[in-house]
Amino acid sequence: MYRLFLALRYLLTRPINVLGMAGITISVWALVVVVSLFSGFLQVVESHVHAASADVVVGDLPAWSDWRKVEAALRDDPNVAGVAPRLLHFGILSRPGHRPPTPPLPGRSALHGGDQPFLFVQGVEPVAETEVTGFAGWLADPAIPSELRCESAPLAPAAAGPTVLVGLDRMRRDGLRRGDRVLLTTAQLRGDGKGGKTPVKVQLDLVVGGAFKTAHSGFDGNTVFVAASLLRTAMFPDQPDWAPEAAVRVRDAATLDATAERLQRAVIAVVERDGHGFGTAQTWRQRNAQFLESIAHQRGLMQLVLVIIMVVAAFLMLATLSMMVTEKVSDIGILTAMGGTPRGVASVFLACGIVITGCGVVAGLALGVVTGVYLEEVRRAVRWTTGIDLFPIDVYNLDRVPCAIEPMWLAQVAGMALAVGILVSFLPAWRAARHDPLVSLRGL
Amino acid sequence: MNETALQAVAVHKRYRLGRQEIPVLRGVDLAVARGETVALLGASGAGKSTLLHVLGLLDAPSAGEIRFDGRRVDDLPVRERAALRHRHVGFVFQFYHLIPELTALQNVLLAQMMAISPLAYWRVRKQARADAEAMLERVGLQDRLRHRPTELSGGERQRVAIARALMASPQALLADEPTGNLDSHTAAGVCELLFDIQRQRGLALLLVTHDEGLARRCHRTVRMKDGVVER
Ligand SMILES: Nc1ncnc2c1ncn2[C@@H]1O[C@H](COP(=O)(O)OP(=O)(O)OP(=O)(O)O)[C@@H](O)[C@H]1O
Ligand SMILES: [Mg+2]
Repeated sequence: MYRLFLALRYLLTRPINVLGMAGITISVWALVVVVSLFSGFLQVVESHVHAASADVVVGDLPAWSDWRKVEAALRDDPNVAGVAPRLLHFGILSRPGHRPPTPPLPGRSALHGGDQPFLFVQGVEPVAETEVTGFAGWLADPAIPSELRCESAPLAPAAAGPTVLVGLDRMRRDGLRRGDRVLLTTAQLRGDGKGGKTPVKVQLDLVVGGAFKTAHSGFDGNTVFVAASLLRTAMFPDQPDWAPEAAVRVRDAATLDATAERLQRAVIAVVERDGHGFGTAQTWRQRNAQFLESIAHQRGLMQLVLVIIMVVAAFLMLATLSMMVTEKVSDIGILTAMGGTPRGVASVFLACGIVITGCGVVAGLALGVVTGVYLEEVRRAVRWTTGIDLFPIDVYNLDRVPCAIEPMWLAQVAGMALAVGILVSFLPAWRAARHDPLVSLRGL
Repeated sequence: MNETALQAVAVHKRYRLGRQEIPVLRGVDLAVARGETVALLGASGAGKSTLLHVLGLLDAPSAGEIRFDGRRVDDLPVRERAALRHRHVGFVFQFYHLIPELTALQNVLLAQMMAISPLAYWRVRKQARADAEAMLERVGLQDRLRHRPTELSGGERQRVAIARALMASPQALLADEPTGNLDSHTAAGVCELLFDIQRQRGLALLLVTHDEGLARRCHRTVRMKDGVVER
């Protein structure tokens, strides 16, 4: 008992120890808040990316492959709810007779598309696409004003020609309206008859059919939709049975990875030539792995930096504890005379370290959780007082700063902090244990 | 004859200073019985404090034996020796050695906390506090419970130290010049208290002192010179 009691008395009479505790509190707080912010952001981005993707995409289907066989093989899988063909190309959209729009603020949209002229041109079959993604919902998003909304059946050719669907933000920025005529310019490598290939320009006159909007603004800014048949006729007239990609929706998302592996095997079995199977099945997560991992990677770096700060904080505590031991070795003699063992007396100082660390961790966790929960309010307060926006939520289509406080992570932070703190506390305790109790008793 | 509470048998103590060995105790035999007061006199450096420490298991003898109630104890493991220090002997030192962060009451209470777990202490905390208050009252400090050592006079500090030494109801009291730092008037009061309590509780008291007058009040006087007891 005397250890705990003395440790508390020693600490309470030395306000300097608050410094060591504050260091640990701050590092724990930062670890909780920053990592929760990143985790929340990652969750939000994942959900946005997923909302704009099919569950699984089977790609790299060679030009000689037969779409009907591929589709049949995919639909054969018990976990497949829908399959849709997709043709993917690239191009530049321009308005004949109009000046190109001014680019948006630099830096805002580099990640999210919009300021670079090249677009992904997705050739889809609207009915099938509705089966595998939220395509119908993207066209009916409440954010789309009625004058930009697609009115007829999506991608059905208008009187003036075939239609194109453009992301809402791009529509607005480029000043496009429904019914506007646009020119889609692209190119393709074609055989030149001498065994080589030359690039050939391809241009399509299109009519804007309406706007779409997914949760993933990066997708919206970089993508336009046209009818699959249009793209096929223009680009691949020789391969009427080919779709380079198949978008798949699964019934049970919990077994997504296993399903993707099964689909991979199934497609390799049907798209086969000379003993080689072709085609790759990737989940939406795998297809966006680079983007998602870059965020996870940033989170990892922050964790590393903050853990190092935690170690520095522990050394701050070591400094205050060492000062205390220097001052209090004189008590070791009498405590030994009263019936303490050398180790027991030394552990008073260990207990000091544990108490400081424990309080620091508890305070840090509590502060961190509170800050995490009210992160949006904190952001607003900071913006209001200093004008600095800590997190540009509008860029990411959010109404709050994302924050996911994961109990597992709290436990890990607490465990790490306690381990570091206790480890560091052993040093002063060890110094106290080596001190000869008789030195102070001899009255020096 | 009463049974011996504390006994040193042919105790040697050498300190090593680099390559040199300094003999401080050279075959000391000394026994203190229950209810007996023994004054230990000798020139400075004779080894009185060293003998006291060895007798109280604060320091291990280089040779010889220490016995408590006739049982050899110097060869026990560290923990048992610490427990015996707590239970069997109480120390009073010249410089009080109170813990400055604690009040008089807390200093005395600390003695009760030494040997028990926080949980066990929690169960007996009320009794412990009452006992400590009673003990401080016994040494005449009922109005000084909440004073820090720095807020107490030398005599009062030594009274707190005596109360603390008695808290675990030891059978023997080892006092190393308990009045060495006090003026004669205060010293007399502290000595009175010591002898009073000793008589009341039938303690074995070993009193290191330079004061011949004080020594005469003890049942027995032992003189040390150069690490041996003079006959
Ligand atoms: N740790 C040590 N290392 C070496 N020598 C020591 C050590 N401790 C004590 N001594 C020596 O032992 C001798 C006896 O010391 P001790 O303190 O027992 O004397 P004392 O009789 O109590 O003297 P005083 O009346 O001044 O208190 C001294 O000469 C001292 O130098
Ligand atoms: Mg001495």
